[in-house]
Amino acid sequence: MQFRNIKEELTVTKIRKEIEREIEEYFERKGFSIIEPRTFQAYDDFIKRNLVQDSTKVVKVLGGDSKIYVLRPDITTSILSQIFSKWEGEPPLKVYYNSKIFKNTPRGVIEQRYQMGIESLGDEVEKADIEIIQMAINILNTLEESYILEMGFSTFLDTLFKEANLDKSDELKVKELISKKNQSELSYMIKSLNLNNQVLANIFNLQGKISDVLDKIKSYDLSIKMKGHITYLENLDQAFTKKGIEDKIRIDLSMIADLDYYDGVIFRGYSSSLPTKLLSGGRYDKSTANYGMKVPAIGFMIDMDLLTRTRLKEVR
Amino acid sequence: MDKLTIAIAKGRLGNQGLELFKGSEYEINVKENSRKLVHYSANKKVNFIFVKPADVVTYVEKKVADLGIVGKDIILEDNKDVYEVLDLNFGKCRFVIAGFKDQNLVKKNEVLTIGTNYPAYVESIFKNKDQEIEIIKLRGAVELAPLMGLSEVIVDIVETGSTLADNGLVVLEELDPISARLIANKVSYRFKFDEIRKIEKLLGGL
Repeated sequence: MQFRNIKEELTVTKIRKEIEREIEEYFERKGFSIIEPRTFQAYDDFIKRNLVQDSTKVVKVLGGDSKIYVLRPDITTSILSQIFSKWEGEPPLKVYYNSKIFKNTPRGVIEQRYQMGIESLGDEVEKADIEIIQMAINILNTLEESYILEMGFSTFLDTLFKEANLDKSDELKVKELISKKNQSELSYMIKSLNLNNQVLANIFNLQGKISDVLDKIKSYDLSIKMKGHITYLENLDQAFTKKGIEDKIRIDLSMIADLDYYDGVIFRGYSSSLPTKLLSGGRYDKSTANYGMKVPAIGFMIDMDLLTRTRLKEVR
Repeated sequence: MDKLTIAIAKGRLGNQGLELFKGSEYEINVKENSRKLVHYSANKKVNFIFVKPADVVTYVEKKVADLGIVGKDIILEDNKDVYEVLDLNFGKCRFVIAGFKDQNLVKKNEVLTIGTNYPAYVESIFKNKDQEIEIIKLRGAVELAPLMGLSEVIVDIVETGSTLADNGLVVLEELDPISARLIANKVSYRFKFDEIRKIEKLLGGL
């Protein structure tokens, strides 16, 4: 964030710190312990574990030992390597962080972004999904403006692709088109590949209130595995309805996660005044295997720069 | 319900886009020669803003506009974080590599010089080709570059190819097809889902 003058810088920092304290207190109350991510990570170690993004965005530094280190580009992967080197996998571990990430901008300047977030490791899947989504909604609920939690289920699309029997390069293209909500080009592609898949053809109709979408999809021809996914989502919907938060959630079964490491519920939080998502997260059990042990894992991250921006408008 | 803002590229593409709203509740009346940049639709639900074609994607990404109508060429060049919901099937043309008839596109151990108004796109196209390139960014009249010896080939959008032919150039390779697209901001898409789906349908969506 660029500041016009020192007064603005102090005001913004003060507000951000206030929000940070509120959220820290909330996380503590929910039984999460603070963890301090390492700032530097060995480059080799980092590359090995990460399917990561664009490596040109990662800030690299040279250590006194002539080895290359990266300046933390992502907090979850950083704390996972910390945790898994010392943790046996049980009892369940709940941690939160309040920290910064660094990245190179296209112009070559190093940018720092403030992030807070939680990770729940080793807890029972359904229970943790409900708990973590409820917490994400509680955070969004402190906004003085309308918000939506958009929820997807990456396993659903994974199963769909497997059943459609696409080859790898076609699958990547289809995924790219779905992630752009590009219904025209998707339907050209379905036609040219001669795919006869009702769910894929209607994928963008599977967005909206959870109960509406589930009703719609139940009228489709589904495999037993797909039906299993739907039953799981129904269970979640029941839990959300019981808690009275189902109105704040929109399901989007065409949602594709920004990172490949998710496998289960994925979600993003939007606020009506912001141009991009301010919260994002999901389940990533599969990728914990990269750390030597597969455990249930779910978490989310809040973009504190954006969250502070919503509060600033109220002040002005 | 909040008002919806649609960014439209000034010029022919934008005018064709406005045609699609004719006769619907979103129709607007733009007087000939009007310089007004903001127009409200008949039902006051939609706000049209007219911007430079290359800026449409930026306005939508920053959520100044919820939707935009813009050519696929701009989307490919800018690679911004927006949804690309609909092919509007007009403004059709194609990205091509063009040059003199005997120009070789594969040059061993030599750099190929390319004149273009779309440097990022050219880079992405040649990333997977085994050919070193040098890009010369031009703003217009790209066909001039090979004629004057500024570059060996050009990458540009071509509709009928008559400008190329008039200047003695030919298409050496066809690249992506181009047409007008409806794009949406990702947050707006979720908040104004029903209204946006309604507009998609009006514009020929499924």
